Amino acid sequence: MKRHLHLVGLNHRSAAVDVRERYALTRHCDPECWAIPRGEGVEESFILSTCNRVEVLVVGRGEKLVQHALESWATACGRQAAELSGYIYKHQDEDAVRHLFTVASSLDSLVLGEPQILGQLKEAYRQAAEGGKTGPILNRLLHKSFSVAKRVRTETAVASSAVSISYAAVELAKRIFGSMSGYTAMLVGAGEMAELAAMHLLQAGIQRIFVANRTYGRAVELARQFHGEAVAFESLFEHLVETDIVIASTGAPEAVIRAGDIRDVLKKRKHRPMFFIDIAVPRDVAPDVNSLDNVYLYDIDDLKEVVEENLASRRDEAAKARHIVSEEAGSFMHWLDQLRTQPTIVEFIQRGERIVEEELSRTLRRLGPVDGETLDALRAMASAMARKFNHDPIHFLKNGGMEGEAPLERIHLMQRMFRLGDELPLPPRRCGRKG
Amino acid sequence: MALFDQLAFAVLIVYASASLCGFAGLVARVSLLRRAACFLAVGGFVLQTVAFMLGSHTALPDGLSLGAYLQLLAWFLLLCGMLAWGKFKLDVPLLFAAPLAFLLAAIACPFLHRQVVLPASLSGYFYALHIGALFLSLAFIALALGAGLLFLYVQHKIKAKERLVGFQKDFPALSMLDKINALCVAAGFPLYTVGIGAGFVWSASVWGRTLSGDPKEIISLFIWLGFAVLFHQRLLCGWQGRKPALFAVALFTLCVFSIVVVNIFLPTHHAFLPPNSPR
Repeated sequence: MKRHLHLVGLNHRSAAVDVRERYALTRHCDPECWAIPRGEGVEESFILSTCNRVEVLVVGRGEKLVQHALESWATACGRQAAELSGYIYKHQDEDAVRHLFTVASSLDSLVLGEPQILGQLKEAYRQAAEGGKTGPILNRLLHKSFSVAKRVRTETAVASSAVSISYAAVELAKRIFGSMSGYTAMLVGAGEMAELAAMHLLQAGIQRIFVANRTYGRAVELARQFHGEAVAFESLFEHLVETDIVIASTGAPEAVIRAGDIRDVLKKRKHRPMFFIDIAVPRDVAPDVNSLDNVYLYDIDDLKEVVEENLASRRDEAAKARHIVSEEAGSFMHWLDQLRTQPTIVEFIQRGERIVEEELSRTLRRLGPVDGETLDALRAMASAMARKFNHDPIHFLKNGGMEGEAPLERIHLMQRMFRLGDELPLPPRRCGRKG
Repeated sequence: MALFDQLAFAVLIVYASASLCGFAGLVARVSLLRRAACFLAVGGFVLQTVAFMLGSHTALPDGLSLGAYLQLLAWFLLLCGMLAWGKFKLDVPLLFAAPLAFLLAAIACPFLHRQVVLPASLSGYFYALHIGALFLSLAFIALALGAGLLFLYVQHKIKAKERLVGFQKDFPALSMLDKINALCVAAGFPLYTVGIGAGFVWSASVWGRTLSGDPKEIISLFIWLGFAVLFHQRLLCGWQGRKPALFAVALFTLCVFSIVVVNIFLPTHHAFLPPNSPR
């Protein structure tokens, strides 16, 4: 029976979050749950489980392979396979390969092009490989999926622009300041998005963070979180002289930073550029601040627009990326086809060697005692003839004779022609020289 | 074809290849092509240096033709581009310098054999210093112009909340462009001062007067004044960003006016004269 590659899974499109929660194979599960047990023809298996998806890959022979995988998965989650069946998708062979490459390249992610999925895939593969669950096909497939993801990232802009407000703000800061090292940021007020932006700035290498809040205690708490420095809200403008990037998110009913204030600050800081990220609604920074030289202001709507445009651009790039994925899936299937022909090729060569040995011993019996040199010459000649006879059929098996001919058909044809694949006796000799 | 013509042709080919390669690399956003363009530009620079050293035209110190003038300008432009590449690891200035150098070298080609021979009294080290310092300073102004124009464009995009698309995404950050402008002013102004000073000393020693009211002298003094203001404001008042960028554009425009209009169309002793004409 032919070996197949199957993929079953559920994701944010096929199942709601409560279903995904039920069938997620979290870190709290028994590590044994992270693999489909061998049996029912399972030769290799791999599971990827993240908050948005579970993907189960199995390689093997047998009709009950997929059912076995589903049952194992459902059992690991303490549920029934029948219930799970309603939420899953199934792919086989080339479709399965394409799906995996699509997932690895983040084309199937909730946020198109997000980078985390590749790391999660690598981690899941590491666990599966260490547990000895993967074999030659899945090893090759997963390594290929990493390189496809890399190719997609290099050759398309699917992951090139920021798609979260906090990250978009940091990207804009980089466009103004270049490297973040040596620059100072200030959080004015506190909010989840502002904290995220501060976190991104820290990751980008910002040197120093001030935190100003009307409640000084909260400022101290936040400053500790970011290894920054809490400052009194009243001394905000004094500290702005040293600040390059300001993230404002107070709950003030009107602007707390106005153009007039910043004009004075700019003079004191010798017109070094400043970037204001105003995430607050109502806005904390008066819009006319943007009209000052060397001052840049982005409010929440501007940032949302940047994110929307970036998402649209990623969607455009996704078409290019899908083309790469299809091309690579085709190339992987070609390798798999070649792999399928391998046992037939080995058998065919062994058949030739067997014939050589039989015919050689028959001839030697007839010839009587021969010296070593003659024996070597006869053996070399017989082997060379076998190799030459084998060459064309093997070439046909590997590359096909007619366009569109499936490798399986070629394998069957070869098996029928040369009586391979079973223990059939060699064809009887039709004629023989009488010695 | 004479050796010098062959060299000039080879320089042209290399600069053209660097320009095409750089253009393709910028538009297609292929870093390998951009890198290749930079190395080609460096190759062209080396070839041109060899041509100068072999004396392809007697540029300095005996006389100066329009061909030599433009070739020298191309050489200094590339030198500045290479300095920016080496110092800031930034290839954009060199990629912009390569097509300019090609253009200047191509325009220079028909004039290469038209050499102006100055009287012996007008040659010497002060003349070489005058030309060398001013040309290098001019190349710095050109680099400041490129950085300034890019700065103004990117700044407009950021202020107007417009996206940078395609190869524009590879433009350097505003701070980097401003840093290039600052470096060009810091290096260019002292050089310009030395160049003009050498010219005055040379003029005084040869003609017995520092200033002769020549149009080129007057416009050069205006450029020096503008340069001095920019230098002073940058260093002491901390000018950054848009103002120095605009100033660099204005300075370069004055320099181009000085070269194209004054040298060619106005009566001046800096004019490119026909070959072998007595001065």
